[in-house]
Formats: sequence, C-alpha cells, structure tokens
Amino acid sequence: MIKHLADRLFKWFCHPDFYGDISGDLEELYQRNLEESRFPQLRYLLQVIGLFRPSLIRPFSQKLKINTIMLNNYFKISVRNLIRQRLFTTINVVGLAFGLAAFLLINEYVRFEKSYDGFFKQSDQLYRLSTLSVVNGQIETKDAMMTHPAAMNMSKEMPEILNYTNSWKLGEVVFRKDQSVVYEEVVSADSNFLHLFTYEVLQGDRETMLKQPNSLVFTKTKAREYFGDTDPVGQTVEVLGSYNRSFEVTGVIEDVPENTHYKFDVLMSEGSLVHRRDYMEWNWNNNYTFLLLDKNTNMSALREKIDAFCKKTYGEETTEFYDVHPIQDIHLKSDFTYEPEINGSEKAVSFLTVISIFILIIAWVNYINLATARAADRAKEVGLRKVIGAFKAQLVWQFLFESMLVNLLAALFAIGIAELFLPYFNALVGKQIAFHVWESQPFLINLTIFFFIGSFLAGFYPSLVLSGFKPVVVLKGKFRSSKKGATLRKGLVIFQFAASITLIAGTLVVFQQINYMQGKDLGISTDYVVGITIPRVEQDRREEHRSKIGAFKDELRQHNSVLGVGSTSDLPGGGSSDISSTTTSVGIVGHSDQKRGTTYLQSIDDNFIPTLNMTIVAGKNFDRNRASDSVAVMVNEAFLRKLNIPNAEDVVDELVQFGDSDDEPQTFYLLGVLKDFNRTSLKTEVEPTVYWPALNPYTIVVKLNEGDYQTGLQFIDDTWGKFFADSPLEYTFLDQRFQDLYDQDRRFGDVSRAFSIMAILIAMLGLFGLSAFMSVQRTKEVGVRKVLGAGLINIILIFYKEFLKLLAVAAIIGTPLTYYAMNSWLGNYAHRIAFPWYLIALATVVVVLFALVTVGYQTYKVAILKPTKTLQYE
Amino acid sequence: MKKYQLGEFEEIVLLTVGVLYDEAYGVAIKDEIERRAQRKVSVGALQSALRRMEKKGYLESREGEPNALRGGKPKRFFTISFYGKQALQNVKDIRKELWEAIPDVALDVQQR
Repeated sequence: MIKHLADRLFKWFCHPDFYGDISGDLEELYQRNLEESRFPQLRYLLQVIGLFRPSLIRPFSQKLKINTIMLNNYFKISVRNLIRQRLFTTINVVGLAFGLAAFLLINEYVRFEKSYDGFFKQSDQLYRLSTLSVVNGQIETKDAMMTHPAAMNMSKEMPEILNYTNSWKLGEVVFRKDQSVVYEEVVSADSNFLHLFTYEVLQGDRETMLKQPNSLVFTKTKAREYFGDTDPVGQTVEVLGSYNRSFEVTGVIEDVPENTHYKFDVLMSEGSLVHRRDYMEWNWNNNYTFLLLDKNTNMSALREKIDAFCKKTYGEETTEFYDVHPIQDIHLKSDFTYEPEINGSEKAVSFLTVISIFILIIAWVNYINLATARAADRAKEVGLRKVIGAFKAQLVWQFLFESMLVNLLAALFAIGIAELFLPYFNALVGKQIAFHVWESQPFLINLTIFFFIGSFLAGFYPSLVLSGFKPVVVLKGKFRSSKKGATLRKGLVIFQFAASITLIAGTLVVFQQINYMQGKDLGISTDYVVGITIPRVEQDRREEHRSKIGAFKDELRQHNSVLGVGSTSDLPGGGSSDISSTTTSVGIVGHSDQKRGTTYLQSIDDNFIPTLNMTIVAGKNFDRNRASDSVAVMVNEAFLRKLNIPNAEDVVDELVQFGDSDDEPQTFYLLGVLKDFNRTSLKTEVEPTVYWPALNPYTIVVKLNEGDYQTGLQFIDDTWGKFFADSPLEYTFLDQRFQDLYDQDRRFGDVSRAFSIMAILIAMLGLFGLSAFMSVQRTKEVGVRKVLGAGLINIILIFYKEFLKLLAVAAIIGTPLTYYAMNSWLGNYAHRIAFPWYLIALATVVVVLFALVTVGYQTYKVAILKPTKTLQYE
Repeated sequence: MKKYQLGEFEEIVLLTVGVLYDEAYGVAIKDEIERRAQRKVSVGALQSALRRMEKKGYLESREGEPNALRGGKPKRFFTISFYGKQALQNVKDIRKELWEAIPDVALDVQQR
C-alpha cells in the first residue's frame, strides 16, 4: 500500500524521461529488501522522498503559466456574467463589502486597544510597581498604588532598575484662567518622569524643567488654551484649592494621546508637594511608581529580590508585597484596584475579534454558497472550454480570477463603507480611532491581505467544483447539481444560522446584565440626589473652610425644594479608587479575631444616612450633638460578614479594634450597623466599610424635590456663588454617576448589538440569494405539484421544511456556544444574572422569523406562477 | 580548468561507472560504491549525480531491455564519454602534481 502510494508520488514528480529506469532500480532494490529489511515499503518511500531533487523532478511551471490572451477572455466573460446575474453579484458584493468593512473597523479598534502605552521609546522595558496584600499565601487585595520611597530604595539594591519615577494623580485641580476658574487634570512628576514617559518636549528642558518646586508643564493644547500665541514658558498661573499660590510654566510637551492609561493635561513638579503627608513616607500608598528595567532582566529573579526587599522593609511577617507589571498590559489585563482610569477589558476585545471573524466568514460563505449553487449555469461553458482544450488548472484560475474580481469590487466598496461609518464607529466605541481610514496604514494592509485571503478562500472551492465537470456529461445535458455540493451548502448555512443565533443571544445577555445592574436596588435612594464636590484648601485655612461648608449646607436647607443635605468623603457611584482604605487588621473585641485584608474607610455626617434613605439594621445613627460620637464608628453588613459575625444586634456598643494587640491598637464604639449599599459598580462586591463621623467632609449630597428640582438646582448654583466664588460648581446626579459606571459595558453591548445585526443581515442576504436560486430551479416541480392539487400554503411549507431542519441543527450547535461564551463573561460580575436560557430561544425565534420571511418571499414568487406557463415547454 | 570541475562524489561515481564498464546501471553502481568505498549511497544522491553528469556530457547512456524482475522496467546503462574521461584525467593530474610537490619532510609524521 505504502509502496503503491510512494510509486504514484514518484511518478507524479519525477521527470518522465527518468521515471522508467529509476523506478526499475527502486523495484530491484525493493525485491532485495523484502528479505533483508524489516520495513521494505517504508524504505521504498524514504528512497522516493530522497529522489525529490531539482535535477530529477519534472518541470512544473509549464501547465500553470497564465496566458495573457486568455486573461483578457476571462475578464470579458466574468464581467458579462456578473452583469447578467445582477442580483447575485449585488448580493455578493454588498455582503462581502459590509463584512470586510465591519471586520476591518473592529480590527482597527482591537489594534487601538492593544496599542496602549506602546509608544514610549522603551515601552517594553517600562513596568509599574504595585502593592499586593498577601495573607496566608492568598492575595487579598491588589492595589495599583505604591508608597513613595519604595522605588528609590529598591533601585539602590537592584541594578536591573535603570530608572524610576513616582507620580501622584492629583486629579482635578482648580486653576485660575483669565477671569474664570476651571478644573484641569493634573499629575505630579519628578525629574525622571519624562525620561520614562518620553513625550516630546516642545519647549523647556527635559532635564531641568520639573526640578524646581512650583513648576508646571503644560501639554501643547492646554498651553494654547491658556496663553494663545504668546510664549508660555516663564508665565505664571494661579493654582487654587489646597495650593493657593502661583506656579511658573517651565515647559510644554506634546499632547498626551488617547491610548495611554495615565492621562493628564498638566504636570506639576514633585517639589511642589513636599508638604504632603505621604511624601517620603512608608505608610501611605497613594502614588504610582513606574520602573525602567534593564533589557535582559530575569523577571522571576527580580520578583524574588523584591519579595526579599519587602520582608526586609516590613519585617518577616509582612503581608505587604510588591509586584511588577509591564505598563503595556495595564489597559487590558490589570485587575488592580485604584487604577488611574477605568481600564479596557481584554474579554470584550477578544469577543469583538470573534464577532468580526464571524461576520467575515458569513460573508465568504455567501459567496461560496451562491457560486456553487449556480454551478449548473456555468457547466456548459466549462464543458466547451474543456473540449477546446482548456487544462483543469486554467479553469481553476479562471474562476479564481472571477472571485478576485468580485472581492476587488467588494474591497473598494468596503473602503467607502468604512469611511462612511467611521464617525459612528468612533462614537460607538467612545474613542477617536482614526480620522480617515486611508490614513491608517494597517487598515490598508489588512484590506489587501484579506482581499487576497477572501478571494482564494471563497473562490477556491467553487472553482474546483466548476472546473471538475466532465465535458461528456454536461454537454449531453444530463447535468444535475451534485449531492456533495448541496451537503456542503447545508453545512455552511447551518454555520451562518448558528453564528447568528450566538451573536444575537450574546447581545441580549449583555443588555440583560446591564439592565439588571441599573435596576438593582443599591440600598440607597439616588433619585433627584445631586452630588457636589467642594475644592480643598491649604492646611491653615482648613478650619475656616469647614465652617464655611457647614454654613453652605445650612443655607441650602432653607429652600423648600431641598429635602435633605448630607455630606460624605466619597460620593456614591464613584470608581474603585475613590475611597480610602487600610490594610491594618480589624476585629470586634470579644466577638472576633483580628483579621487582615482591606477595610474601606468613609466619613459621613449625621445627615448622610437619612438623605439617601439608607437603612440602619442595628444600633443608631451619628448625632452631631452627642460628644461621645467622636470615638464611635458605624460599619456595614459586609464588614460583619468578613469577621464572620452573624447577628448585627450582638455587636452594637461593642468595641471595634484597629491593629494587633502588640502595636498599640485603637478602639472605637460601634454605634450602628448599616444595611449594605453599593458604593460603586456591581462588578465588585459591597466593600467591607467602616464609617467615621465627620461634620463637614468635602462632598455634599442634596436631595431635591421631584416636582421642582430645577428650581432647587438654580438655588444651589446661586448659593454656591455666594460661598465659593473661587471655584466652578461641579455637580452630578447620583443616578447618572451610577449609570456612568456601566459606560464600558453599555458600549460593549452597543457595539456587539450593531455588529450582530450586521451579521444577521449579511447572513439573510445570502439566504435570500440562495432561496431565490433554489426556488427558480424548482419552478417546474412547483408547477407539477399545483397541477396535482397542491395549494400555495402546501408549497411554501415544503420549502420551509428544509430550512427549518437546518435551523434546528444550528440552534443545537449555537446553544452550548452561547452558554460557554456568555457564562464566562457574566463571571466578571460580582452581582450577575443567572444564565437566561430563554434568551437563546428568543434569538432562535428571531433568526427563524428572518429566515421564514426571506425564504417565504422567494417561494411565494414562484408558487403563484400559473402551471400553464411554467410547464408550457415540457 | 573550471570546465572539468568534478565533485568528490561525482568523481567516485564516474570512476565506478568506468570500473563496471558495460554493466553500469543504477543498482550495480550503488552496490559497487558501497562495496569498495564502504559507505552508504542513497538512490537519490546517486541518480541526481548521474543525470547531472549526463547533462554536462561526462556520461552517455543507453536503455536496456525491460526486465520482469524490475517490474517490467528497463535498465539504463551509463558509459564514460570523452569529456568524462578528460575530466577524470584532469583530476588525476592535479592530484599527482600535488603529491609530487609535497616535500618529503612534510609527510614524515608519526601516528599519535
């Protein structure tokens, strides 16, 4: 058997002049090997393979040489065919063009998401140092922030660390601009900052411009905004809030692009911040630390050194460890809390990639289906060409050429479609990906690549089928569409249906989850509640400022559309990094052991709880007139769960202890237990939180009357002007803040909805063409059936039966696919819906309806024809 | 000189064809080289060397009768052509000159 195959192989590649005697030699050796060797056949094969040498193989090129005269003919015939079959050409081109455009746009987006922080000179050597709290070998919390002195001390011991920088994200800082006050996004920077983040320096000196205290570096756009055409360097800018002094602009850098996780408009020199409590302090991790590592760093060795460093610094028993991550991974892969911005989701990106591939394949499948279904039309042409002497290879090329022509048309349209939809696409993903598609080189390269892949992938099978016809059969007129082709078509249609069902069901699941999160009872009432942030002031004005806040709140209460005013350190609906936390051990004396891990800390005044309609499960609220409250705290249920305390009533009036007994623990009276409420996204569990009493923290919640909240808002604005003329009023409705938390998810839902719809439309386009062709082919059958007494309904049902069978199979394939994909997506959420099986049924129904309408229309057109006409020529 | 360039394996094949004189066909040449030079010869290497040298004109060939033992395939017998002879002679001359040019002391080495 092997020998036989090997001989055929040899006959195929060997030069015909040599074949005879060499195969004779091989035979002779084989006969001899029969006795001597254990695997004579295998040796034969090896010898044949050894004979595959340039000097012995036959020339292959002659047959495949494309004849340029014939190329002209192919072109002419193809164009004629495409024009004659307008409907099918349109279906093919439109389907392919939309498929290609969607695929390429999504590809651009994916590329953009993956390009984060990749544009610095040594991006691949840039790492972020962050904090892990490890208890009993388990990672309890992952905190993106760092203590300030760590990097400096580490770099002294570890030669791998070539450079480092510390940066505080100062957030929105109040600037005086002309006559008004505005917020700017500011981060601090030491003099190393621009050596790691190698933004182009347009004015000023990279080495020195961040050295002096009270220096600012503006981005190009901000500089123009502030100073117009005058030279920004040397100008002074007044920074208000807790700074309240003048800064000098020492430099201008290029604008910070969209694709970095660490965005800012203004850099403030680190020297301006030496008064901060966390400056050079080990106990505060409030800043981001970035390292430039040596190219040849052995990461596992470095991690070991870092662990040793942590043990040396914090003691052998430490729970505090550091970890390093490439900054290019932060945007898509980081699962740390206290990230500087809400990151992208790797899962969403890979889901979109899958969707885009689905769409493209659906479009290709359309081409394959239509081309093979219509093979009969071309059979006579193929037969005749063969009779005249065309090689099979030539015919393959002819039909590939035709496929290229269709794909080329589609590719050209795809550019136009992509360009047309680019603004919508940018809005959909919420990012400015490109201005024109033709400005993006990768877009054009991908277009070319996928044009060729498409032409060959979609064109190859049809051209093999078409070129394989036997002239004797087709010219006699006995040709019938082959069974094999029909099976393949059915398979491909099943794929299209299954993909459509999966995409639709997946999209429905996404929206179901978002609705669930938005509709879930948060434990607080956020309707018509406005959150206001009051700017901070410097140390010596703080007392005065606080009483001013108190007076402001009192004034607000006077108005009758204001139902309540409370304050807190952290507005509900903030990101994970908005709240402060501690990793000191906590416990309730006599009721639990001291437990390590992150505890969140929030300050509230006595009006906060009633204003937001929160429930106190046990104990009582703070009271500003009760002196003992200064040493009291409240906790939430999550806090008690963490300590394994089942009954809230038991622990009221007991002592909450911070710190282990060996290092001066602090204790506070537990005044009351709050019912859990979600401070942030439902992606995360309710945080175990301790609430501290505070009279006038920096954010205020105002509950307005539903009927005339507009007047209330106006009143807030007026009152603000009286008290804080220095800074702009920034307020948000709390329910809006919560909505914003799900921005990314909603975007993901919107994008997948848009492309799922596109996928199903392309699939239906193909089905439309396929059923159009099939019903025309069966015109005579329909005529005979009508003569024998079949009604319109009967005939349509006969056609439906076939497609419904395919749909059933598709649903069976699509169900586990959807379940697997979407269940893993739902796994990202702490509060998630149970997998909604009925949505798969719903998606199937949608696809069935689409299919029935498409097929029904085509069948109907044939079924109403009079048999006298259709059977006239038989 | 370039004209008569011969590889080491080619030279051996050419010489063997000469040794076998009228009976030099694939299997016989392979056996002869394996016997005399104590080395394995693959069919591929041998055949490609033979055809290459035939193309260069060092070898001539004729077809034998079909043979039942060989699955009804003929043998192809090779003989050295005039140019083949010259090429061999040339190699031999170069070797001889080189041998003679070696000073005696250079070969006065002991086996270690």
